[in-house]
Amino acid sequence: MSRRYDSRTTIFSPEGRLYQVEYALEAISLAGTALGILAKDGIVLAAERKVTSKLLEQDTSAEKLYILNDNMICAVAGMTADANILINYARQAAQKYLLTYNEDIPCEQLVRRLCDLKQGYTQHGGLRPFGVSFIYAGYDPQRQFQLYQSNPSGNYGGWKATSVGANNASAQSLLKQDYKEDCDLKEACGMAVKVLSKTMDSTKLSSEKIEFATVGKTKDGRIYHHLWGADEITTLLKEHGLAKEDTNADDKIVS
Amino acid sequence: MASGYDRALSVFSPDGHVFQVEYALEAVKRGTCAVGVKGGDIVVLGCEKRSAMKLQDTRITPSKLGLVDTHVCLAFAGLNADARILIDKARLEAQSHRLTVEDPVSIEYITKYVAGVQQRYTQSGGVRPFGISTLIVGFDPNDKTPRLYQTEPSGIFSAWKANAIGRSSKTVREFLERNHKDGMDREATLKLTIKSLLEVVQTGAKNIEIAIMAPGKQVEMLPVEDIEAYVKTIEQEKVEEAAKKKSGRTPGTGSAAILTRGPDDTA
Amino acid sequence: MEVLLGITGKDFTLIACSKAAMRGATILKASDDKTRSLNKHTLMAFSGEAGDTIQFAEYIQANAQLYSMRNGTDLSPSALAHFIRGELASSLRSRKPYNVNLLLGGFDPITGKPSLYWMDYLAALTAAPYAAHGYAQYYCLSILDKHHNPNIDFEQGMKVLRMCTDELKRRLPIDFKGMLVKVIDKDGIREVEYNDDARIACP
Repeated sequence: MSRRYDSRTTIFSPEGRLYQVEYALEAISLAGTALGILAKDGIVLAAERKVTSKLLEQDTSAEKLYILNDNMICAVAGMTADANILINYARQAAQKYLLTYNEDIPCEQLVRRLCDLKQGYTQHGGLRPFGVSFIYAGYDPQRQFQLYQSNPSGNYGGWKATSVGANNASAQSLLKQDYKEDCDLKEACGMAVKVLSKTMDSTKLSSEKIEFATVGKTKDGRIYHHLWGADEITTLLKEHGLAKEDTNADDKIVS
Repeated sequence: MASGYDRALSVFSPDGHVFQVEYALEAVKRGTCAVGVKGGDIVVLGCEKRSAMKLQDTRITPSKLGLVDTHVCLAFAGLNADARILIDKARLEAQSHRLTVEDPVSIEYITKYVAGVQQRYTQSGGVRPFGISTLIVGFDPNDKTPRLYQTEPSGIFSAWKANAIGRSSKTVREFLERNHKDGMDREATLKLTIKSLLEVVQTGAKNIEIAIMAPGKQVEMLPVEDIEAYVKTIEQEKVEEAAKKKSGRTPGTGSAAILTRGPDDTA
Repeated sequence: MEVLLGITGKDFTLIACSKAAMRGATILKASDDKTRSLNKHTLMAFSGEAGDTIQFAEYIQANAQLYSMRNGTDLSPSALAHFIRGELASSLRSRKPYNVNLLLGGFDPITGKPSLYWMDYLAALTAAPYAAHGYAQYYCLSILDKHHNPNIDFEQGMKVLRMCTDELKRRLPIDFKGMLVKVIDKDGIREVEYNDDARIACP
C-alpha cells in the first residue's frame, strides 16, 4: 500500500537524474513566456498572458507578475497554483526578515529562501516538486539592482537578461543578440516588447496579452516597483509599432 | 500502520545494494569537477566553473566553493540545490560548536558532521540521499597541518593528500596520483591543482576557480589573472615537453627550433 | 558600578567600559573585557547580571557570525540592533528573562556612517550620538551634552572621553580599575591604548 505514497518522493534514476524535476521543467516549457532585463537604472519584467478573454477583469487578475515586498517583484512561468503557494511563502519570509532586522531582506536571501523550500520538495516529504520557474527583479543597497532566475530543482542564478517558459530558447538567443551593457530602463522596456513580439504566436500584441512591470529609482532615490496598467502597455506598444491597429482599421472601413 | 512516509526510500536490494545511494553517486559524476590538493603548508581547492553564458550576472551567481566557517572551505560536485542545504547545515553546526565549546570546529569534526548528515539521508523515512560529494579543507585552530577530506552521498568520509570529485574525477585522480609529492610549496601546489583541472577543463582560466587556505589566515580566492598566468606556463611546458619527446628521436636539439615546432604538436 | 560609555564622531564610534569585574563589593579582576565583536564593524558592550551578560552576548555573537557565514555579508549595525532588541524583548517575556544592559557601537561600511545604539534590560532601544549605562549616566551625560557634537574627529572624541573618565574617577565611590577603550571605524574594530594611571583627586 505504502509504495503508492513513497514513490511520490523524488528519487534518483539509475543515471543519477531526478526525473520528477525534469518533468516539472517540461511543464514549464509549455507555459507563457516571461522575461527579465537588467538595466543600469532599473529592471523590467514582461510576460505573456495565456488566458485572455474579453470578460476577464484586467487589473485585478495578474497571472504572471507579482509583488514580493517593497523592493522585489517576480514573474512566474509554470503552474500558477504552485506559484501562489511559493509567493505567499516568500512574502511571509520577507516580512519576517523586516520584523527581525527592521531592514528589507537582501534580494539573494529571499531568492534563496524560496529555493531552499523548492529543494526540500525534491528530497523529502513525499510530495512532487513545485512546477514553477521564477524570474526575480529587486534592489538592495549592497548589490543594487539584481535579476535572478530559479527553477523547480531549487537552483538559482543571477542574470543580466533571461527568460523562462515557452519559446525560452529563442527568447534567450534574441536577448543575447540585442542586450547592451548599461542600457537604460527605457531601452530595456523596448527590448522586452520586441523580444515578446517575436516569441509570441501572434505578431501584433495587445495589452490584454501581456503583463509588464518595472523596478527603478525615483528622482529622490527611493526604490519603486510598478505593475503597468493596460493603457501604459498600449502606449509602449504603439511607441514601438507593435500594437494592434484596431482604431485605424475601423477608420479605413468607414472611409 | 504504514502512512506512506515512514518507509525509507533507500533500502537494500536482494543482492545487497542500496540503489538510491549508488544512483546518487551518478548524480555526483554528472556534476562539474572539483579538486583538492595538500601542499607543505597550504591546502588548495580548485573547481571547474560552468562556462558563464554571456547574459549571466557573474557578480551574483552562486559559486561551487563555499566557506563553512572562516577556517573551513568546502567544494562540492553534484546537485547545486542539495549542496546549498548541506552547507547551510554545516555552517550552523560550526557556529553552534563555537558557542558551546568556545572553539572553532576542527576540520575532521565538521567533515564527520557533514558525512553524518549525508548518512542519515540514506537511512531515514521518505527521503532521498544528497546527490553530492564534498571536499572539505582547512587548518585546525592553532595547527599548521593542512587537512583535506572527502565525503560521499553514502556518508563515507576519508582523508586525502589530493583528490578529485565530479565529472572525470577518475582521470584527474589518476593524474594526481602520478604527480603529487609530499611537502610541495605554494607555487607547486597551485600549479598541480590547476594542471590537474586542465585535464578536464578545456576552456582554460576563465572556467577555473581556486581557493587557497593557509594556517590562521582568511581564505584567499586566486584572481583570474593569476590563474591565467599559471595556465599559460603549464601550456607552454606541455608544448616544450611534447617537443622534447619528438626531438628525442631527432638528433641535435636546439630549444629555439623546438619552440617553433610546438603548435604542430598541440593540433 | 560598572561603566559603559559610547561616543560617536564624524567617522568613528568609541566604546569604553570599566575593567573591574565585581561581585557585590568585591573586585574579582581588573582586566575584564565587557565587549564582544559581532562582526567586522559592530561591537557590543554589556553590563548587568554577571552570568546573563556573557550568555546573552555570546548567543548574539554566534547568531551574528552565523548570519555572516550563511550570507557572505555582515548584518548592518542597525539590523543587529533591531535583532538584539527582538531577542531581548522575547527573553523579557519568558519565564527567566536576561538582565542585560547594552551599548552597540558600529560603523556601516555601505553608508559610511558611524552609529551607536543604547538598550536597557527592558529592551528599550534608541539610537544616540553618545550614551552611557549605570552610574556613568549621572556624571557623563552632562559633560557630553556640553562638549559633544556629531562632527568631532577621533582626537576630539578621545578628549571628551578623557573628561568623562576623569569625572568618573573623581566622583564614583569605588575604583572601577580604569577603562578598556575600543574604536570602530571603516577599518574595523581595534583597541585603543588608554592611560589610566593618573590619580584624580576629589575637591
